[in-house]
Amino acid sequence: MQLIEAQESTGLKMDVRDLNVFYGSFHAIKDANLRVTEQMVTALIGPSGCGKTTFLRALNRMHDLTPGANVTGTVSLDGTNIYDSSVDPVVVRHRVGMVFQRANPFPKSIFENVVYGPKIHGERNRDALLSCAEKSLRRAALWDEVKDRLFRSALDLSGGQQQRLCIARVLAVEPEVILMDEPASALDPIATSKIEDLIGELKKDYTVVIVTHSMQQAARISDITAFFLLGDLIEVGTTSEIFTRPKDRRTEDYITGRYG
Amino acid sequence: MRDAVLTLEIARAKSARGVRHRRFVDRSATTLLWCAALAVLALLTLFVGYILYLGAPAISWQFLTSPPSEVSAGGGIGPEIYNSFYILGLTLLFTVPVAVAAGIYLQEYARPGAFRTLVQFSAESLATVPSIVMGLFGLLVFVYLLRWRFSAIGGALTLTILNLPALMRVTQEALFSVPQTYREASMALGATRWGTIWRIVLPSAVGALTTGVILIAGRIFGETAALIYTAGVSVAAGKGAYDLNPFRPAETLAVHVWYTHAESVVPDVARIGNGSALVLLVMVLLFNVVARIVGRSLTRRFTGR
Repeated sequence: MQLIEAQESTGLKMDVRDLNVFYGSFHAIKDANLRVTEQMVTALIGPSGCGKTTFLRALNRMHDLTPGANVTGTVSLDGTNIYDSSVDPVVVRHRVGMVFQRANPFPKSIFENVVYGPKIHGERNRDALLSCAEKSLRRAALWDEVKDRLFRSALDLSGGQQQRLCIARVLAVEPEVILMDEPASALDPIATSKIEDLIGELKKDYTVVIVTHSMQQAARISDITAFFLLGDLIEVGTTSEIFTRPKDRRTEDYITGRYG
Repeated sequence: MRDAVLTLEIARAKSARGVRHRRFVDRSATTLLWCAALAVLALLTLFVGYILYLGAPAISWQFLTSPPSEVSAGGGIGPEIYNSFYILGLTLLFTVPVAVAAGIYLQEYARPGAFRTLVQFSAESLATVPSIVMGLFGLLVFVYLLRWRFSAIGGALTLTILNLPALMRVTQEALFSVPQTYREASMALGATRWGTIWRIVLPSAVGALTTGVILIAGRIFGETAALIYTAGVSVAAGKGAYDLNPFRPAETLAVHVWYTHAESVVPDVARIGNGSALVLLVMVLLFNVVARIVGRSLTRRFTGR
C-alpha cells in the first residue's frame, strides 16, 4: 500500500508544515513536514539526538515550558493551527495527550493519578470519577492488577505498571491524539510487549504518534514511519515501504544498521 | 615515553606496597572525617549539658509564670515567654505569605533575565545585613518615623525583613527539589501552570517547606539584636503584659537574657539569665524536633506514601 493511499483511506488528523524548532541558537528541527493520519500509529525513528523527541513535543506545545525553545511553522489539528495566538495551549494538551519516556506518576494514589485530568477539567462527582478510573484502567490493561489497591501509592507499582498507569491517566482525559516518547525504553521485554499490545488496541479509537529507538518496535506496531537524521525529516512512508523499499540512501543505511 | 611512565605508574599501584599505601590513605581519611563528626556531637552535648546544669536550679512554676522584676530579686519570665510566641506568630503571619509567593514566582514563573537576577541579588544582599543594623533601621522607621514607640508590631516587621530572604530561599529550594517530570505530566494532561503548582508542586514540596518554616521560626524565636531597639526591653505591668494589642512594648525571652546581663540591677541576674537561657534553648531545640516530625508526616500525607 502506498503512503498517500493509506492516508486517504482514513482522515487527516494533524498536518505539520515547515516546522522548525530552535533551542537558543541550536537548530534542532529543520523544515519538517508530516501528515498524521487518524486511527493509525505513526512511528518516528532515527539515531539518538536526531530530533524525534523534539518533533514530538512540538505536537502538543510542550516546548512552551522549555525556556529558550522557539517553534516556527504550523501544526494543524483538525485544520486549526495549534500555534495560532488565539489557541490556548491548555486546550491543545487536553486534546493531544502525552506519555513520557520514563513513567512519571504523581506521588499520589493510583486512583488520584488516573482522575487527575478529569478533576482539573471540573469533574467533582465521586461516582463519575470512580467509573472513569475503572474504564481508563481497563483500557490500559491495568485494572485487574490494581483494582484491590486503588488508594495505595502509585509509586509502589512496578515500572511497567507505572507506565500503563500513565497511559490510563492520559486516556482519562479522553484525548484525540496520544503522543508517546519511547514509552517502553526503560522496561523489560514482558512489560514492553504489554505496552505494544496496548498501542495496537488504542489505535482503534485514537491517533498515536510514537517515538522509538527500536526499529523492530516501529516495524511491529506502526502503520507509518518517519525517519529523522540530524534534525531533518529524511523520509516518510508506510512502515512496510520504509523497511523494505526505502527511497533515500540514508534511510536504507539506518535500517540496515550502518548508523548508531 | 609517556606510555612508559604510565606503565610504571600502574605497576607501582598494583604492587603490594602501593595497595598498602592506598588503603592507609583511605582509612586515615575515614578516621579524620569521623572525628570531625564526633567533634560536632561532643560540642553540642557539652553545650547543652552546661546550660542545663546552670539553668535547671532556676526553673520553677513561679519563675516561668511571674512577671520580671526591675529592682528586687525573684523576678520571673512569664510575659517574656508570651511575647516571644506573640512576636513569632506575628512575624510568620507577615513573612510566610510574602516569602512563599515570591519564591513561587521566582522558581515557577520568572524566566531567566534581568528582573529575576535583580530580585535574587536583592534577596541575597538583604540576607547579609547584620541583624543589629536591621534593628537600627527598625528603630528609625517604626519607632521614630511612624511614631509607634517600642512595639511588638515594629519588632515583628523588622524580623520580617530580616527573614524574608531566607524563607524565600527555602521556598525556592523546596520547589526546585520537585521533579520536573511532575510538572510536565500535569501540563501534558491539560492543567494550567497555577493548577499544576497548586495540585502537584506545592503538595510535593510541603514537607520541605514546613521544615524550612519551622527552622526559621527557631531563628526568629532566638533573635535578639534586631529587637532591642524595636520591640524594646520592657513589658507592661500587671495583666497588660499579656495584651493582644501589637502596639505595646514587648520584650522577648532572648532580649531578656541579654538585658538582665547587660543592663539590669537586680541581685539575682545570674539565676534569671541562666534560667532564661535554658528555656530559650529547650524551645529552639523543640522547634527543630517538631520541624522534622511535622515535615515528614506532611510529606507522607500529601504524597500518599
